[in-house]
Amino acid sequence: MLVLTWLRGLLHRRAGRMIGQSAGVASAVLLLAALGAFFAASRASMTAQAVRAVPVDWQVQLSPKASLSNASSTVAATRGVTAALPVGYADTSGLSSRNVGTVQTTGPGTVLGMPTGYATTFPGEIRPLVGATTGVLLAQQTAANLGASVGSTVTIARPGQPKTTVTVDGVVDLPAADSLFQSIGVAPGSAPTAPPDNVVLLPAAMWHGMFANAAPGTASKQIHVQLAHDLPTDPGAAFADVLGRAKNLEAALAGSGLVGNNLAAQLDGARTDAIYAQMLFLFLGLPGVIIAALLAGVIASSGRERRRREQALLRVRGASPTRIVRLAWAEAILVAVAGMLVGLIAAAIVGRIAFGTSDFGATTGQALAWVGASVVFGLALSAATIVVPAWRDVRMLSVHDTQASVSTGLGRRPLWALAYVDVICLALGGLIYWQAVRSGYQVVLAPEGVPTISVSYFTLLAPLLFWIGTALLMWRVGTRLLRRACGWLRVATRPLAHRLAGVVAASMSRQRRGLSRGLVLMGLTASFAISVAIFDTTYAAQSRVDAQLSNGADVTVSTPAASGLPAGITEAVAKLPGVAAVRPMQHRFAYVGNDLQDLYGVDPATIGQATSMSDAFFANGNAAQTLQTLGSTPSGVLVSEETVHDFQLQLGDTVNLRLQFASDHAYHPVPFTYVGVAREFPTAPHDSFLVANADYVSISTRSPASQVLLIRTNVSPPTVAAEVQQLLGPASGANVTDIVTQQQITLSGLTAIDLAGLTKLELVFALLLAAGASGLVLALGMVERRRTFAIASALGARSRQLGGFVWSEAAFVAIGGLALGALSGWWIAQVIVKILTGVFDPPPEHLSVPWAYLTGLLVAVGIAIAGAGSGMLRAIRRPAMAALRDL
Amino acid sequence: MPEPLVHAVSLERAYGVGGAQVKALTDATFSVEAGDTVALVGPSGSGKSTLLHLVAGLDTPTSGSIEWPALGSRRDLRPGPVGIAFQGPSLLPALTVVENVALPMILAGADEGGATTAARDLLDVFEVDTVASRLPEELSGGQSERVGIARAFSGSPRLVLTDEPTGQQDRATGARILEAIVTLAVLGGAALLVATHDPAAAERLAARWTIRDGLLHAEELTCSS
Repeated sequence: MLVLTWLRGLLHRRAGRMIGQSAGVASAVLLLAALGAFFAASRASMTAQAVRAVPVDWQVQLSPKASLSNASSTVAATRGVTAALPVGYADTSGLSSRNVGTVQTTGPGTVLGMPTGYATTFPGEIRPLVGATTGVLLAQQTAANLGASVGSTVTIARPGQPKTTVTVDGVVDLPAADSLFQSIGVAPGSAPTAPPDNVVLLPAAMWHGMFANAAPGTASKQIHVQLAHDLPTDPGAAFADVLGRAKNLEAALAGSGLVGNNLAAQLDGARTDAIYAQMLFLFLGLPGVIIAALLAGVIASSGRERRRREQALLRVRGASPTRIVRLAWAEAILVAVAGMLVGLIAAAIVGRIAFGTSDFGATTGQALAWVGASVVFGLALSAATIVVPAWRDVRMLSVHDTQASVSTGLGRRPLWALAYVDVICLALGGLIYWQAVRSGYQVVLAPEGVPTISVSYFTLLAPLLFWIGTALLMWRVGTRLLRRACGWLRVATRPLAHRLAGVVAASMSRQRRGLSRGLVLMGLTASFAISVAIFDTTYAAQSRVDAQLSNGADVTVSTPAASGLPAGITEAVAKLPGVAAVRPMQHRFAYVGNDLQDLYGVDPATIGQATSMSDAFFANGNAAQTLQTLGSTPSGVLVSEETVHDFQLQLGDTVNLRLQFASDHAYHPVPFTYVGVAREFPTAPHDSFLVANADYVSISTRSPASQVLLIRTNVSPPTVAAEVQQLLGPASGANVTDIVTQQQITLSGLTAIDLAGLTKLELVFALLLAAGASGLVLALGMVERRRTFAIASALGARSRQLGGFVWSEAAFVAIGGLALGALSGWWIAQVIVKILTGVFDPPPEHLSVPWAYLTGLLVAVGIAIAGAGSGMLRAIRRPAMAALRDL
Repeated sequence: MPEPLVHAVSLERAYGVGGAQVKALTDATFSVEAGDTVALVGPSGSGKSTLLHLVAGLDTPTSGSIEWPALGSRRDLRPGPVGIAFQGPSLLPALTVVENVALPMILAGADEGGATTAARDLLDVFEVDTVASRLPEELSGGQSERVGIARAFSGSPRLVLTDEPTGQQDRATGARILEAIVTLAVLGGAALLVATHDPAAAERLAARWTIRDGLLHAEELTCSS
């Protein structure tokens, strides 16, 4: 009964306090639950992207004696299978083709038997380049090796059988060659098998005719399977589901087939990417939740004096400590429930707007866990800010003690300050950071071009320790400055406080705890906003660089290596509206020993006009210098680190590459000079490739043809891409891609998670927190001292003189907090980016600073402080009668 | 004839409590001149503090008029011409005792050094010079009260208002403090209004105004020492 009366009284008489406290809890719950929504949305998008990225979900490798029809029936009957087509694989000991009077031959390869309708059932597997899309098709690289095109005849050497000849109907690209030619059933951990250099695709009937009597072990059959994509949205759950289905099929096949589970492999990668999302959550989200909680604590503590007086009155009236704590619990629960409801509803709305989902988890369990965590957090926060202080107060011996403790709050230094916990945290953080940077720790490892995340949670301690250490150090700096530097304060406050500077400085010095609390909160909020903004901007910039690296430039035109760009296309494209620069690039193939690698012929002096040449592309970390060296050495070549290692190359060594000559389409040795190492290059594969001078390649091969056109745009890339496509016409066989579309389909660890929603949420939240923290801390500090200002006003202090107190304190909190926050935010962003360097491909050369956002942040903080200060001055211009009647 | 420091006609002050109104002061007409020493007596809640706040210009009357002919407008009263010692704790918690006492002088434009020296002299008069460097939270109730009185005399005011100035003093100290208050006011040529319950304290002053249920009864409406 008393509890209800008490709560009714609070709602009627202390509505402002209750609303403020609930708002504090709501903001913390909102961010926590919104992060849950981001988590759910990112997991779901990771699953969807993983599914989209797989052209063939399963490749069922049949044993030599298995019956194709029986196996096909079993596969078709498996749950979720929507399409299953048999594909023949046969070895060839070599291919040859007669062209312009010469015969080109290749090494061993694979001949595929493709059933009718394969290209439409599995659209991502075969990309037509030139000629027909069915019939006899040559892989692009094979066509280049043979110098063959549509209409050419190719002779296929069959092991143990006579050679046979086919006529080429088209040239195709096999984008998923790695999985198409994977070894199924090999032991886990085995080195991946490289796809064959030479591939011919035949219609199934023709293939059966040629390889029906193939020598044992030289031909096999697979059933390629498409699954219904009604999978759980969580990548982990989807992985388990797909894996279970595959095992079920293997059991049903009873040894006659093994499943190459491409979908599960991709989902396994997405499952690992989820760990990365968790890291981002830790780095980017949690500090915001902590700051929101601190803000809630500040709001609650602003009513502490009044609550103490109320408690003192209750105790005078005979209320027991237990009953007082029970009343505090009632208040805390009321605040928590209101805060949680508002926070969860707001999070659902924010989640819908920012991430397109109102769910707080990818599965029901996860959603319940997030909601549960938010509820527990809200309740704990409410209890920590209301019940704990009340419980601590009632433990004091007497009412007098309670009243006496209401003072300036000066007392002994906290234990952490005596133990220098701040310095220890910063030193440990620095040590971990130094160790991580020194050992070259990378979050993402990319062996053989497959990104794998390897998280060292120990390394993540560095930013966490920096964050804690910085917060405590801000407190130490604030209190020490106010305690020791009174003379300096007097000078600093003179422009605002004039003759009262000494009094204002003395007053600030004695209120160092409250002011330092404001300084820390302001500093942490600024640090959070600045670090999040810098990280997000750097991430977005690198995401664009990553997409540009994959796409080549804003817009890229590519043609098969065997053909070339139409004549005059460079000049024609340059005249299109929205084209800032355009440069051609050769894309050929060259043998380094027996290893066939991609060769890019460029003009080193001008290539950077059409696409970004990042320092990170080159081993010496200097793009300009590397390209200058290449340009000044006509026969120069940049090779991969792997090639340097494999062939024990030294700078200046002559490297004999075999290039295909236009005259006879045969590969002939050409001497090159090794001048540097290229790690990445626009459109180049992640593993080995070569970069050389286009002029030298042209002269050596007697072919000036370029296969790639790199275009920098100053308008929307898709618009320019459409114009270029129209210019080229459908018959050109050229493929036009743009960076925006590429960014949406890039599947590296970096862009697998769309941070746009989280970025928006965090930047807006950081801005609101910064404005709220600065304005609120100042306003609440002033409200706490309303009586003090009433007395000063009663003694005759004018508005300008009262303003001296208000603005001096505001300036200390705002300028000090922003300065310390900027330093700490920049440093924490630096640490996070450095630790996550491996996530970026290529790593950023420098931090990207969002000046517009930071200016907005300053303006928001300025407005909040000006609003709080002037509002307070208006309120205290005339001493409140309530305060006067107490005097 | 010199202008009065305060001149009030039919002064009334009412407070709204719920839907009803409580009249703290009704139809008070009076004048205070330089050198007047007045004891304002009456039971608790009779309106003594309300009258002091009105005279100090801290509050505005509901009806009637109050002017300060010899002191200027309401805005000119503080800091400077009017010093007031409140009944409850009123020291600024973040300032030391001496800083509290020097504050009105600094607010009025005095330099900090001079104000501090003058503040120390006042603290000496009211026997709290030994606690000059302490913060208010380190003082006893009696010491806080005396510091508050010292602050009321800060800046040589022409009208000093004190509300129960000896309420927290023992009898002997209370008598000495009252003596000091009267002496300082008289020597400075200031008028003094002391709200008190203590009949002995009231006896020390030249005039006595009694206030009961908001009604002011003066033995002499215009008093002279």
